[in-house]
Amino acid sequence: MPGHKVSAEIAAVRHTIPGVTLISPPPHHDIYSIEDLAQLIFDLKTINPTARISVKLVSEVGVGTISAGVAKGKADTVLICGQDGGTGASPLTAIKHAGLPWELGLAEIQQSLIANRLRNRIRVQVDGQLKTGRDLAIAALLGAEEFGFGTSLLITLGCVMMRKCHLNTCPVGIGTQNPVLRARFSGKPEYVERFLRFIAQELREYMAMLGFKTVDDMISHSELLYPEPAIECLKAQNLDFSNIFYPVNKDKHSIRRSTRQPETWQVGDLEAEIGAKSQPALSRKEPVTLEFPVRNIHRAVGTRLSGEIVKKYGAAGLPDGCIRINLKGSAGQSLGAFLCPGITIHVHGDANDYLGKGMSGGRIIVTPPPGATFPAHENIICGNVVLYGATGGEIYINGIAGERFCVRNSGASAVVEGVGDHGCEYMTGGTVVIIGQTGKNFAAGMSGGIAYVYDRTEMFDTLCNLDMVNLESVWSKSDQEILHNMLKNHVKYTNSRRAKMILENWEAQFPLFVKVMPIDYQLVLERMRLQEHPSEETVSATEEVY
Amino acid sequence: MAKSTAFLEFSRTDPAKKNVAERLRNFREFEIPLNHTELLHQAARCMDCGVPGCHAFGCPLHNRIPDWNDMVYREKWQRAFLLLQATNNFPEVTGRICPAPCEAACTLSINDKPVTIRHLELQIVEKAWREGWIQPVIAAQKSGKRVAVIGSGPTGLTAAQQLARRGHAITIFEKSDRIGGLLRYGIPDYKLEKWVIDRRLEQLKAEGIRFETGVDAGVDISARYLK
Repeated sequence: MPGHKVSAEIAAVRHTIPGVTLISPPPHHDIYSIEDLAQLIFDLKTINPTARISVKLVSEVGVGTISAGVAKGKADTVLICGQDGGTGASPLTAIKHAGLPWELGLAEIQQSLIANRLRNRIRVQVDGQLKTGRDLAIAALLGAEEFGFGTSLLITLGCVMMRKCHLNTCPVGIGTQNPVLRARFSGKPEYVERFLRFIAQELREYMAMLGFKTVDDMISHSELLYPEPAIECLKAQNLDFSNIFYPVNKDKHSIRRSTRQPETWQVGDLEAEIGAKSQPALSRKEPVTLEFPVRNIHRAVGTRLSGEIVKKYGAAGLPDGCIRINLKGSAGQSLGAFLCPGITIHVHGDANDYLGKGMSGGRIIVTPPPGATFPAHENIICGNVVLYGATGGEIYINGIAGERFCVRNSGASAVVEGVGDHGCEYMTGGTVVIIGQTGKNFAAGMSGGIAYVYDRTEMFDTLCNLDMVNLESVWSKSDQEILHNMLKNHVKYTNSRRAKMILENWEAQFPLFVKVMPIDYQLVLERMRLQEHPSEETVSATEEVY
Repeated sequence: MAKSTAFLEFSRTDPAKKNVAERLRNFREFEIPLNHTELLHQAARCMDCGVPGCHAFGCPLHNRIPDWNDMVYREKWQRAFLLLQATNNFPEVTGRICPAPCEAACTLSINDKPVTIRHLELQIVEKAWREGWIQPVIAAQKSGKRVAVIGSGPTGLTAAQQLARRGHAITIFEKSDRIGGLLRYGIPDYKLEKWVIDRRLEQLKAEGIRFETGVDAGVDISARYLK
């Protein structure tokens, strides 16, 4: 999303800074396999046990296998998305050449889910230029029980398909932040309602023709579909449609649609115990300190508690350090995922992937087990994708983190003693201090936030991706103050030897730090500074200056 | 579009009209063409829509309106003219008298005033005449076939020109004593002056089209004679 479209409202919703370009849609660097996806579903269910989790899949070859994985990962809905859609901002190449028709993907998903006896567990939704009751009838017969509309509803609201959503010049006031143009928006909710009523009416007509009473009865009766004979000429003769209409209902008892009742997600024993023992804090805001051994089977520790706190106290959470959780051992994946303000988790041992994923506050501290003899700054202590999509909070890691550290971080501050490849990728906010080695491709797509890297070898510029960032030295007093404070906190929480060494020789060591500053972000910060001291020349934070 | 916000910055300006006292004294055209800067502003107002109503829905000729609007804005007048004549044989006629359904179909007309498409079209073609970009297009090869066109109205002339450019030998039969049909006898001078038609007829003559006036097909000559 271009920076000039990121207005104050949008920035607030997306937890970024107005005017900073956002890479959207986000590359999901926390999902590289079906196990990763299952983990994400697990995390989301843990934070909100009543949430319905939907997984959107592009219609393509092999999507049936993926859908089986999605069902096993305990998602509630799988959404198959066809080739025909796309926002007005999509490049023409993507609109014309990406994906397959939803019919192909839907048929494959349905057959695959039934063959694996998973269809009863998951609802199937379809979208991709559904426009008429006939489209819905075909989709239901191929196996969908829910239908999504995008473009057609926009059209009912007045969209004229200008394909200018990215330029901020939508003349009918839909895809724009310009108040003059927004005033031209003439859509009403009633238009959408009326359109959908017509669609439903047309679907009813088709159902009457086919002899169905309910949409549920209609699901997965592909035997009622056949290819239009009129196209059976010339080249179309070579096409074999039989796999689309493959009869999946040979076994009369096979379940063709979701029969799962909405259920509340059950959390693990450790989570339940943490929840029970935190009651004083939850009900009366009394500080509590908890100690537990932890193993890598304990995933998303602290997440359910955060969910309860936020439900009760809102995003502000509890006072800082109200709940202290000390864990000893190897923590499982997603430790402190979606952590909220008020919780401090201290791990004596090590942590797995997705540490602090999506955290909005609180503090996570990871230190080697007491009595460890190895030097902390030379050993990996936590896994990949730390702080993915975090919007606040602090994290102190007394050791080296894995790859994609702070990917898409938009507000959390972190201190770590070394990172793997692709550090600070797509970061849009927050502050990161790295007092050790970094891997390749640091700061790729980084459009906001600041990173301070301790560059002892002066080779950091060869590892950093300089497309979107500038490298500076830490010359300003305010930068030095931030850095010094963060390192002081690091020593306070982790007793890091390396940080201590730097602080003790501060005058000699701080020149070795490199400040990684995104170019866009710098411009925005300058504009914001101007706004704080208003003068006649003040420009709005979202105004383009180049 | 080179300037995507122009429709917010400039409003529509129609060509001014000569004052009534002057118009009372003659039957000449009364539109005063827009000046150069104003033209560029008007062309810039085109939004280069994803689904251009003017081109595909409004214009029966499917004129490439967004494309030549853009070219006018960039001051590439010759390119604009080439785009215009690709779909329109006599833009100087439509630029004057077309009721401009393109403007009614313009996306801007949903909640604003449409782009001055008709006037831009006229200006492009008049510029082309002044610059000498409109020259006879002589067919490189003769097909050896003869075609008779009955009636010399806008349709007959267009058909004759297109066929002549394919190398056919064209004869137009017109029952009146002047060529032009509706253009000459149906449209009054204040909308379309006669010199505009004559100027175009020169080009048609140079392309090898023969005109037979005063011949009423079916009365003076038979279908058998034409064969």
